Amino acid sequence: MARTLRFNIFRYNPRNPASVAHMREYSLGETESMTLFIALNRIREEQDPSLQFDFCCRAGICGACAMVVNGKPGLACHTKTKDMPGEISLMPLPFFKLVGDLSVDTGSWFRGMYQKVESWVHTSKTFDPAAEEERMDNELAEKIYELDRCIECGCCVAACGTALMREDFLGAVALNRVARFLIDPRDERTEKEYFDVVGSDDGVFGCMGLLACEDVCPKDIPLQDQLGMLRRKMALAAVRGMLPKFLRKD
Amino acid sequence: MQIIQTDLLCIGAGLAGERVAIEAAGNGFSVICLSLVPARRSHSSAAQGGMQAALGNCVMGEGDSPDVHFQDTVKGSDWGCDQEVARLFVDGGPIAMRQMAFWGVPWNRVVPGEHTYYKGGKPFTAIEKQEKEGLITARNFGGTAKWRTCYTSDGTGHAVLYTLDNKAAQMGVEVHDKTEAVALIHDGETCMGAIVRCLKTGELRAYLARATLVATGGFGRIYRESTNAVINDGGGLIVALDTGVAMLGNMEAVQFHPTGIVPTDILVTEGCRGDGGTLLDVNEYRFMPDYEPEKAELASRDVVSRRMTEHMRKGLGVKSAYGDHLWLDIRHLGEKHIRHNLREVDEICQSFLGRDPLYQLIPVRPTQHYSMGGLRTNKDGAAYGLKGLFSAGEAACWDMHGFNRLGGNSLAETIVAGMIVGGKVVEFLAGTDTVFKTKCVREAFDAQQGRIDRLLAGQNGAESAYAIRDAMFDSIMVGAGIFRNGRDLDECVKTLQVLHERAGRVGLRSDGLGANPEQALALKIQGMVKLALCVAYGALMRTESRGAHTREDFPERNDRDWLSRTLATWKDGADLPTLHYEPATQTFEIPPGDRGYGGGKIIPMQTEQGR
Amino acid sequence: MSLSTIATHRPVSPGLTAAYLDWLQMLTGAALILFMWCHMILVSSVIVGPGVMNAIAGFFEFTYMAQLGGPAIFAVFLVHFVLASRKIPFRTAEQKVMWANAKRLEHKDTWLWMVQAATAMVILVMGAIHMWVVLTDLPISAAKSAARIQTGWWLLFYLCLLPMVELHVGIGLYRIAVKWGFVGRKDRSGFKVKENSITYIFIGIGVLTLIRFMFLAVK
Ligand SMILES: Cc1cc2nc3c(=O)[nH]c(=O)nc-3n(C[C@H](O)[C@H](O)[C@H](O)COP(=O)(O)OP(=O)(O)OC[C@H]3O[C@@H](n4cnc5c(N)ncnc54)[C@H](O)[C@@H]3O)c2cc1C
Ligand code: HEM
Ligand code: HEM
Ligand code: SF4
Ligand code: F3S
Ligand code: FES
Repeated sequence: MARTLRFNIFRYNPRNPASVAHMREYSLGETESMTLFIALNRIREEQDPSLQFDFCCRAGICGACAMVVNGKPGLACHTKTKDMPGEISLMPLPFFKLVGDLSVDTGSWFRGMYQKVESWVHTSKTFDPAAEEERMDNELAEKIYELDRCIECGCCVAACGTALMREDFLGAVALNRVARFLIDPRDERTEKEYFDVVGSDDGVFGCMGLLACEDVCPKDIPLQDQLGMLRRKMALAAVRGMLPKFLRKD
Repeated sequence: MQIIQTDLLCIGAGLAGERVAIEAAGNGFSVICLSLVPARRSHSSAAQGGMQAALGNCVMGEGDSPDVHFQDTVKGSDWGCDQEVARLFVDGGPIAMRQMAFWGVPWNRVVPGEHTYYKGGKPFTAIEKQEKEGLITARNFGGTAKWRTCYTSDGTGHAVLYTLDNKAAQMGVEVHDKTEAVALIHDGETCMGAIVRCLKTGELRAYLARATLVATGGFGRIYRESTNAVINDGGGLIVALDTGVAMLGNMEAVQFHPTGIVPTDILVTEGCRGDGGTLLDVNEYRFMPDYEPEKAELASRDVVSRRMTEHMRKGLGVKSAYGDHLWLDIRHLGEKHIRHNLREVDEICQSFLGRDPLYQLIPVRPTQHYSMGGLRTNKDGAAYGLKGLFSAGEAACWDMHGFNRLGGNSLAETIVAGMIVGGKVVEFLAGTDTVFKTKCVREAFDAQQGRIDRLLAGQNGAESAYAIRDAMFDSIMVGAGIFRNGRDLDECVKTLQVLHERAGRVGLRSDGLGANPEQALALKIQGMVKLALCVAYGALMRTESRGAHTREDFPERNDRDWLSRTLATWKDGADLPTLHYEPATQTFEIPPGDRGYGGGKIIPMQTEQGR
Repeated sequence: MSLSTIATHRPVSPGLTAAYLDWLQMLTGAALILFMWCHMILVSSVIVGPGVMNAIAGFFEFTYMAQLGGPAIFAVFLVHFVLASRKIPFRTAEQKVMWANAKRLEHKDTWLWMVQAATAMVILVMGAIHMWVVLTDLPISAAKSAARIQTGWWLLFYLCLLPMVELHVGIGLYRIAVKWGFVGRKDRSGFKVKENSITYIFIGIGVLTLIRFMFLAVK
């Protein structure tokens, strides 16, 4: 143990006219069970109090601390220095608007995303406080939760070449969100309505299958499978209209 | 000055804040939620266990009802809660759960047939009923007579928060994230909104609102070791306290959990000990049986926490770069049990400690976990002292938890209180108009801008905010930690008073430009010390032991003198809170009695005095 | 919202175009893969013997498949190019981002896509030349091919085109499989290994074929 770690950290404060983007080096003595959460806080408190970064739950469940660690987007609080080489480079997530140093604004993008994919249950029913809840198969509930586990860290979008090239691309996180509602019987949206949300080059047809999303997702959300499912479903929905009238389902 | 106006301003976009917001938006009012982080990162998302509601669908919950839930809650509170509120809460629970299901929460459901469950580490089988198939099921939590904790796998808080935020987006609730309320706008009678610092740019803005809600969650981060998120530093309570008229209730009631891991204080479940895990000291000696011969590690949360602290004070803790700790040993439970039944614990150890609990010991220590106290409100969620100010969730002292909240009750509180308080906020908005006094707005804004300007100019002094914070950590843990006594508390209060004064002389080491993190702490540190003083001073004055508040020098629960709630206000220029007291509850559905666990002597309430 | 949707006062619906184009892109890709496999059988049959190749070529000639199929393939090739090139970053800003991302990430599948896009450009040029040369010089015979290859330049040409095509085809097949979910998360790495070996084997056969052509006696 007792390595001295060298950190190369991206520094830029857009609010300071004198600031220029650069990498700055810090060194820090490694301690037992050190994570990037501990390391960054120590750097801030002992060496450079202006250093901006985001942590919240520091337990890998809120998604606040996503950053690019040695090239790969991931959760900093989840990263043990023990598993890292002695030199660690830290960059803010690309794609999202930079707030300063390692901190980015994910909130605005995600809010926009909710509106684009209408990330809520669409139903014509009204809630009856006196009634028993609608029944649901436990297995289905678990399936929905499996897709609901996403923590909106933004890693999948930041790693996706398509999203980086084409700003309007929805990204894996949004497509997974749509998949989540698609399998939820409480959401009454029709296939056509879902198609209107994702059936474009900004949606599922824009995905080039780079699968960086799948490979970086810290929550192991089955993105590849959801993207595949959506593409098939939406592509079939598009050609169903070409079938003779009497063969169409709806 | 940028001014933003809305009907309802929710300071906080966790479960409580958003639930209230949805109620108001659903009734046609404009709502803005403020949050330090994007709404879904609020700490509510970290609650894994579940929420209590007396649905009674699962076999182990059969016969459950709001009445049983009520009894558990009041007992749990050590009779410190407001029983009228507890009643509102238990009755609202099932409706709130079903509403969340309607909005999209994938609650786990009853699967009929034979199942193997665990209780106290021992397996047993039970048969779930066919006719309950597909209804919301529940799991077991401490201190409850029935299994009543509704859950979605290991991510209840996450699933519910995501659903609520979806709903909020649908209803057009605006969330301004990366913002921090730094002061309330008020004239001593009416609250008119808040002065807010943008954490993207560092700029100040004024939000004018007819109703303002404080839903900022717990304030665990006045302790060094807390299971709370790092943003839970009591910002909402500080701005309320700063008004001089709003009151904080029962701030001394702070809950600790025996097993937070070291260094990052992430919670590992009680299940470890329930299933046979043991606690070891620096010599790898199992010490709990020496203190608690009968129950050993399985004594209640507060007892175990206390014993652990006592043992470490004897110098038998394990020294580390992060302070002393003890070991949790689950190695003997075997691979199958650890990898399956305790999967979560296994994952936490592997991903955050790099330790394999099958072969290695887990470093743990008692850790601050929940704040029962908060902004005191009446049963409608309206704050004492200021019109137009409301509060809900962990930030509030609505008061259904009294001196000890039950696991699963706090998450449920957020949405039940959100539903009820939301309704009252709607009534308020429909029936009241507010005059926004430009003078108050300007003054509040200028006061905050002035603070920032002085800080940037280095006019206050050169104290380091971090140093003061660290000193506060040291002091409060010794004085107002798990074990409390007059001498240490007295010492702690004195130290905190000095820190309070020093906090007025903080200077920056960095340039402070933009969303500078040092500035954020510098602006907040004095307020944090004030909260610490409310805790420590309240604890010093409360000469009894009740729930989580444990005085070594006053070990009995004193219903004769202390069946009351502490109320703290802060007068301008003071260095101590002013304390008042009110009866814990106006109505008694169940008179004070023995909790049935935790032990301890009770000095009974005198009947002529007790209403 | 684009101007056209505002002008027509119609709700924002993306229309079916994107879906059709995605189908077409996949189908033309798949068709080209199938063609390349048949092509492989035709050309590398020379390893067995020039007679076999001539027989197969003769069959195609006789059934007019070469005369009609050739230009048809050429058309599919062009359509595929038009569709797929919608994905290729042509603007410098896009290119920069894509490169920076691939280098930073060191992520295999992202690199594979880069390879696919780069090989595509080579194939576009060389494939077109190749087809032009072969199709304007029908009928196909082992001898003619051998003569061409033994000039030397054509050998280099094919040594370059061959790996480009095989890489592009291999990656393309893998991509279709994962994009459309024919291969799921569980089978992905296994499929990739198989796909890689097929690519290597095909390059191997291609090289053998070229060697055979080199040493085929031209009368
Ligand atoms: C590890 C852990 C596990 C838990 N597990 C359970 C469980 O299983 N069951 C259970 O019942 N309870 C559990 N609890 C308790 C429960 O999670 C909390 O009490 C509850 O989530 C609090 O919700 P809230 O809406 O009041 O506050 P939070 O969710 O904490 O939200 C606070 C909001 O206020 C905002 N905010 C704070 N300060 C400011 C400011 N100055 N300006 C603007 N915005 C501000 C924050 O950004 C955030 O949006 C657990 C707690 C912890 C720490
Ligand atoms: C024999 C010739 C060719 C074959 C067999 C072939 C085959 C394929 C296949 C199977 C795919 C996958 C399709 C999909 O993902 O939907 C593909 C993709 C692609 N092809 Fe080709 N192709 C050929 C020529 C070309 C040419 C000439 C170009 C020229 C630009 C090209 C550019 C691309 C691109 C950019 C992609 C990626 C599309 C995406 O990621 O969505 N290909 N090709
Ligand atoms: C209808 C169209 C095509 C015909 C008739 C055809 C025919 C042939 C013939 C006869 C050869 C032997 C060499 C020669 O005669 O020069 C050959 C080789 C080759 N062709 Fe084609 N071809 C066609 C399309 C393509 C396409 C679209 C590609 C890829 C883009 C391609 C790639 C190759 C390669 C790489 C070789 C070298 C073969 C090897 O080494 O195995 N061809 N082709
Ligand atoms: S899908 Fe995964 S990587 Fe993407 S935002 Fe969600 S958790 Fe993060
Ligand atoms: S990385 Fe991007 S291109 Fe598709 S498969 Fe993932 S979204
Ligand atoms: S801080 Fe919450 S995921 Fe890292």
